[in-house]
Amino acid sequence: MDVLDLARTQFAVTGSLHFLFVVLTLGLAPLVAIMHTRHAMTGKPAHERMTRFWGQIYVINYALGIVTGLVMEFQFGMSWSGLSHYAGDVFGAPLAIETLGAFFLESTFLGLWIFGWHRLPRWLHLACIWLVTLTAYASAFWIMVANSFLQNPAGAVERGDHLVLTDFGALVTNPMLTMALPHVLGAGLWTGGFVVMGASAYHLFRRTADRESFTGSLRLGVVAAFAGSLVTVGFGYAQFGPVSLFQPDKFNGTPLAGIGLGFMILIGQLLQVLIMFVLLPTVYWLPRWRWAHPILMLITPLPFLAAIFGWLAREVGRQPWLVHGRLTVADAMSPGLTKGMITLSFVGFVGVLGLLAVVDYLLIVRTVRRGPAAVTLGADGPADSTERAHALSL
Amino acid sequence: MDILWTGVFALLLIGYFALEGSGIGVGMLLPALGGTQPDRDRVVAAMAPFVLANEVWLVAVAGVLFGVFPSIEGEVLSGLYPLVVTLLVSWILRDAGLWFRRRLDGHAWRAGWDWMICLGSYGLALSWGMALVAMAGGLSGSPIGLPGLGGGLVVAAAFAFHGWTFLSWRLPGQVTGASRAGGALLASAGVAALPVAVLLAALAPWLLEHIAPSGTLNVLSVMILPFAPLMLGAQVWVWRTFGPRRAADRVPSFF
Ligand code: HEM
Repeated sequence: MDVLDLARTQFAVTGSLHFLFVVLTLGLAPLVAIMHTRHAMTGKPAHERMTRFWGQIYVINYALGIVTGLVMEFQFGMSWSGLSHYAGDVFGAPLAIETLGAFFLESTFLGLWIFGWHRLPRWLHLACIWLVTLTAYASAFWIMVANSFLQNPAGAVERGDHLVLTDFGALVTNPMLTMALPHVLGAGLWTGGFVVMGASAYHLFRRTADRESFTGSLRLGVVAAFAGSLVTVGFGYAQFGPVSLFQPDKFNGTPLAGIGLGFMILIGQLLQVLIMFVLLPTVYWLPRWRWAHPILMLITPLPFLAAIFGWLAREVGRQPWLVHGRLTVADAMSPGLTKGMITLSFVGFVGVLGLLAVVDYLLIVRTVRRGPAAVTLGADGPADSTERAHALSL
Repeated sequence: MDILWTGVFALLLIGYFALEGSGIGVGMLLPALGGTQPDRDRVVAAMAPFVLANEVWLVAVAGVLFGVFPSIEGEVLSGLYPLVVTLLVSWILRDAGLWFRRRLDGHAWRAGWDWMICLGSYGLALSWGMALVAMAGGLSGSPIGLPGLGGGLVVAAAFAFHGWTFLSWRLPGQVTGASRAGGALLASAGVAALPVAVLLAALAPWLLEHIAPSGTLNVLSVMILPFAPLMLGAQVWVWRTFGPRRAADRVPSFF
């Protein structure tokens, strides 16, 4: 592989890792917020246990979302400085707005939510998780604005050797954005719903404690996945309009893009039929059908897979352009980038993040298996005796 | 508008050093101050509620760098390439240590991640110091060298002092044996931010020369400045909620 291939692979791998965690963040955040709202309104211990259980899964997943996102943000300047030279005045704006107006708030409020259990007043604590959800969605919006600009550089004109922003309205109403954003958010909700459904099925299958709670959360997961699937599939087909307009040869040019598209639609269509005609109509009985639970667990990873195929289709199909029709990926590469440099960062980023991603998923699986009783997020008694001794001496 | 956005950039970078400098310092001191596992747990628990709110300042710095100084962003990040790699990998390891250390029981697991927190914190401090020296030298020549190492040690010492002061403020008379008031913490924050503040003052004309055109800056102002009170308010809320007077809790820390 030459320098360009390595830099591209590095971006593709870290980007895919990032999205695997982000897609679940987007889907779980509103579900955790809904559970927390129920807890705040009823004060029932069962609702609190569920909020903390799903909240801990959400938070463990979020950890990898942050660290992979950091690498994404810095990689633009490290490997692709041609992009900031040519289009930075336009492309940089949504990224700057995302970090300041969305991520900054999201992270601050998430810290308050995680460490604010039993400390913040009830309604303010609840407000934190809703603000986290809101800012996560705002984040998704601005990142998709930036990505859609690469697909179709709307709102900018070329002056001299670079692009300048002339029409902010056109940037945020880019046709490559308006159908893709709901598609991605729907995919998130679908993924989150499937994780809640699959984890609940595990507990019902194993006949652990909290039968009633997991009955409820299995139903919530199916309903969320159904809502997500309607949005995803509807806006999925709607995307063909703008794509055929702005990138007519997108899925014929490179085989990989076509393969990604094909598998995404295959998974999406099969699952949607299953949800709409089987899971949703039987959702009342489903928690009691023990034979069905292993199947539910088995299909849990499929939306993740479809989402990666979707990104492959969208991004590989954009090649060889970085900014479609304007700047190629090859021209955007940082001029001084050498094989030694990119190899160093490749090993550092892909190696470390890949390992941590595996650890993170194992920790999520373990959190699911140990169930609500073992959750540490928001636990209100010292976890063990040594900590008790210290907590009392504090 | 140019001055305003250069100011915002400077504020964010200085804020990062002043705030997150304490977290990095605490991480560096972790083995020294926490001889036993319960000691280390208390040290980490003391900094934990602030970490997310602090480190996000650097994410904001990177975002503003891209939006406001696009022509500098590429130059700086590719000019400092090896240091940016060590900085990011250190940051990742430090954060992984914090998020993972309590997720499994078992002594070795937690102790291992505690070492990761320490290692990552040293990596962050040294990378920063070297990056500041390289920036001061105008990015000419290799970013790694003896003067850079000197800068790294200075920044590491400043962060360690800030971290020590933070612990003496948050847990008075406990792990450090000393007690510090809020004023002392402010002063140590100033010490931690001093190197970068000096550098920014020297680089201000260069920054102003490379700022994005007014069309871009206007959009950023309209979209971001309305949120500024909320952003600052949320930060103040964090420090009020988790300050020393409220520290006496019986709740096990998530980190
Ligand atoms: C079942 C019918 C589906 C259709 C017709 C469909 C259609 C599309 C199309 C045409 C694109 C490419 C847009 C572009 O190149 O600009 C795309 C991208 C994408 N798809 Fe799908 N998709 C479907 C299902 C799914 C599912 C089940 C998921 C995940 C749960 C998913 C996740 C994504 C993602 C993440 C992208 C990249 C971002 C975007 O362009 O929206 N899709 N989809």
